[in-house]
Amino acid sequence: MNLKDCHNFSDFRKLAQKRLPSPIFHYIDGAADDEVTYARNTSAFDDVDLVPNVLRGVEEVDLSTTIFGKKLDLPFYLSPTALQRLFHYDGERAVGKAAKKFNTMFGVSALATVSVEEISSMIDTPKMFQFYFHKDRGLNDSCLERAKAANFDVMALTVDTITGGNRERDLRTGFTSPPKLTLASLYSFATKPMWGINYLTKGKFELPHLQDFVKEGTDVNSSIGNYFSTMLDQSMNWKDAENLCSKWGGHFALKGIMSVEDAKRAVDIGCTGIMVSNHGGRQLDGSRAPFDQLAEIVDAVGDKLDVICEGGIHRGTHMLKALSLGAKACSGGRLYLYALAAGGQAGVERALEKYKAELVRDMKLMGCTKISDLNRSNLRFRK
Amino acid sequence: MALKDCYNFNDFRNLAKKKLPSPIFHYIDGGADDETTLKRNTEAFNQCDLVPNILANVGKPDLSTTIFGKKIDMPIFLSPCAMQRLYHHDGDKASARAAEKFGTFYSMSTMANNTIEEISNISGGPKLFQLYVHKDQSITDDLIDRCKRSGFNGMCLTVDTLVAGNRERDHRTGFTTPPKLTLQSLMSFASHPSWVFNYLTHGKFKLANVASKTDKGTNIAKSVIEYINEQYDPSMNWKDAEYCVKKWNGPFALKGVMSVDDAKRAIDIGCTAIMISNHGGRQLDGSRSPFDQIKAISDAVGDKLEIILDGGVRRGTHVLKALAAGAKACSFGKIFLFSLAAGGQQGVEHLLRNMHDEINRNMVLMGCKNLKELNSSKLIYRN
Ligand SMILES: Cc1cc2nc3c(=O)[nH]c(=O)nc-3n(C[C@H](O)[C@H](O)[C@H](O)COP(=O)(O)O)c2cc1C
Ligand SMILES: Cc1cc2nc3c(=O)[nH]c(=O)nc-3n(C[C@H](O)[C@H](O)[C@H](O)COP(=O)(O)O)c2cc1C
Repeated sequence: MNLKDCHNFSDFRKLAQKRLPSPIFHYIDGAADDEVTYARNTSAFDDVDLVPNVLRGVEEVDLSTTIFGKKLDLPFYLSPTALQRLFHYDGERAVGKAAKKFNTMFGVSALATVSVEEISSMIDTPKMFQFYFHKDRGLNDSCLERAKAANFDVMALTVDTITGGNRERDLRTGFTSPPKLTLASLYSFATKPMWGINYLTKGKFELPHLQDFVKEGTDVNSSIGNYFSTMLDQSMNWKDAENLCSKWGGHFALKGIMSVEDAKRAVDIGCTGIMVSNHGGRQLDGSRAPFDQLAEIVDAVGDKLDVICEGGIHRGTHMLKALSLGAKACSGGRLYLYALAAGGQAGVERALEKYKAELVRDMKLMGCTKISDLNRSNLRFRK
Repeated sequence: MALKDCYNFNDFRNLAKKKLPSPIFHYIDGGADDETTLKRNTEAFNQCDLVPNILANVGKPDLSTTIFGKKIDMPIFLSPCAMQRLYHHDGDKASARAAEKFGTFYSMSTMANNTIEEISNISGGPKLFQLYVHKDQSITDDLIDRCKRSGFNGMCLTVDTLVAGNRERDHRTGFTTPPKLTLQSLMSFASHPSWVFNYLTHGKFKLANVASKTDKGTNIAKSVIEYINEQYDPSMNWKDAEYCVKKWNGPFALKGVMSVDDAKRAIDIGCTAIMISNHGGRQLDGSRSPFDQIKAISDAVGDKLEIILDGGVRRGTHVLKALAAGAKACSFGKIFLFSLAAGGQQGVEHLLRNMHDEINRNMVLMGCKNLKELNSSKLIYRN
């Protein structure tokens, strides 16, 4: 199997599984507890059906949408995800260039393995910086200043990682970052030699946004759960978010909102967008799926800020359903991460190409030529 | 596989399966008939979703709750389960000590292998006694008097075992108590030599609390089913229950209430609590699961007595959902018996620690400071 055999989400996933040492694959692929929420994030889309209109003349389809004041050529973008150089040695460089090619937003994690400065010198298309609220205020200021200086368009504060989720696959595989060779994982690393060679020869593994602030340096093995639980500030509250929002002074989003109440407060503190998200099911298992919760939130705040439906998206039709409910855009992590692991920049580009082709085809089948043609009359919920 | 590799229900179950002769494993693991209710008890939790609040600055959440007049450190406790000596040679002593360590209830079954007095001597923690109404009323009276003298905090009367359920696995494995060596079971006992060794060398197996009152079911090979059918009074009615409530004259629950009407009658006869339960799916197959039924019951009587959800609980988030739906606490049987079989007192402590950490982590992710904040607004049922 190689890249040209990958036609959909699960193909990319399979190829990624072949290429990656198993602790790394399972870090991407896994979620919290019994992974019930993770499964629901996708199956939620199947409880509603699309109702097409015919005979509308649909030869030209415009997929563009505007979020955070930026026009994107696609109605979805790439969620910020950590540690991309573990998945492919080009990491954020590959993902950023692919995003640029399709003119969509590139989300860069606080735990990125390539610096904001380098990314900004590489791509001039829309960029979002994902912020974690650390105990170390100096570290927070530095992240903010650097993202601002690097001309990032949006700041997204992640609010659903107050403590680390219970990712049992990582407990079993002993996943740490950077990867540590334990007896249990050794076998898996040994059977994926290409990954090992690339990892060791293509530059040192670092977390450039953190390294000046972590005494031991960021090449010390630590689990992600440990990072959340020890470095992030659990006392983070609405005031902190508000201060950050005004300090940033530009487009600002809260990532990980699930309740209507919190969505309204996001408006009050000056956010221009929110990601309805449960972190891809990686935090609170048993929590509600973004798509299940979307309509309520759009009804409450959809006219006041950009509502983004994040997580569980495997298909163009999933995006059409979310957009029909009133999301301004969709976003996802795994929808490009497996492709990154499978084939670097070429992999991500192939994935984006596939989703784009699906969207165009499905828009035509729906009888729609632009995103604003989609609305709730296109949907029927099964009871 | 060892105790330290046990993160969840399946892990404990697998380890218990390795350690126990198969008739004993299946006695714990099995349910009635086709085990549909057994499965539904856990699946029911997946039909609704938690909705977290963000930026709530919860600090260290308070997990304490008060049931049977006792404040306990977390909202989960050990259900009464028969014959724990079969699962580990320390039996009820192990369970009682572990529960005390975590500041929560241990419950003693009428069919325990230790006496009421033995357990109250080794544990000063909260204790609940589970009563069966015997045909010979002097047995019932004797049990109540002894519990009172021994400082038990509460009493529950099990009302869902008027006849024994049809546990087909036990028919097949030839499960009897004490275990009888049949040709079928011989192989399995022979292949678990350390269980057999411990079982034979750690004191005689008896139903300690009723041993002096009956010669049946204690040291002759007799199936539990036969015992239930011979000793327990199938004509037990509301008057009998009321008699027990009065005689005990303290915190009292009916265990096995499923209908709203019966919950109301429990108030009338003076109960302070009910345990919504179908006996872990071991009695009437096809009956409703506790979680499916809790909302109706809590709407009707939640302000008048304490509701305990018993059955199907495997995860911290299950506990959170039950509390949001109106329970004051949950209890569990199988998962704790597996942990007991897996590692005795240490095993149960390992389970309780996992459970405590899960509940704590998920409270933080929910943005809840205490259990009162878990109300129905945090729970959304799908359609
Ligand atoms: C491997 C991986 C790493 C992630 N790292 C981050 C991160 O550093 N910061 C963040 O806010 N979200 C992170 N996320 C969550 C994503 O931004 C996004 O919410 C999630 O992937 C959406 O679900 P999906 O994967 O089903 O699309 C990560 C997700 C994955 C799968
Ligand atoms: C092996 C075993 C023995 C049990 N013995 C008793 C008992 O003696 N008295 C009683 O009231 N309930 C008994 N139960 C039922 C439990 O108290 C509890 O209702 C049930 O296990 C809850 O379901 P769960 O196993 O899914 O947590 C027993 C359950 C099991 C699994």
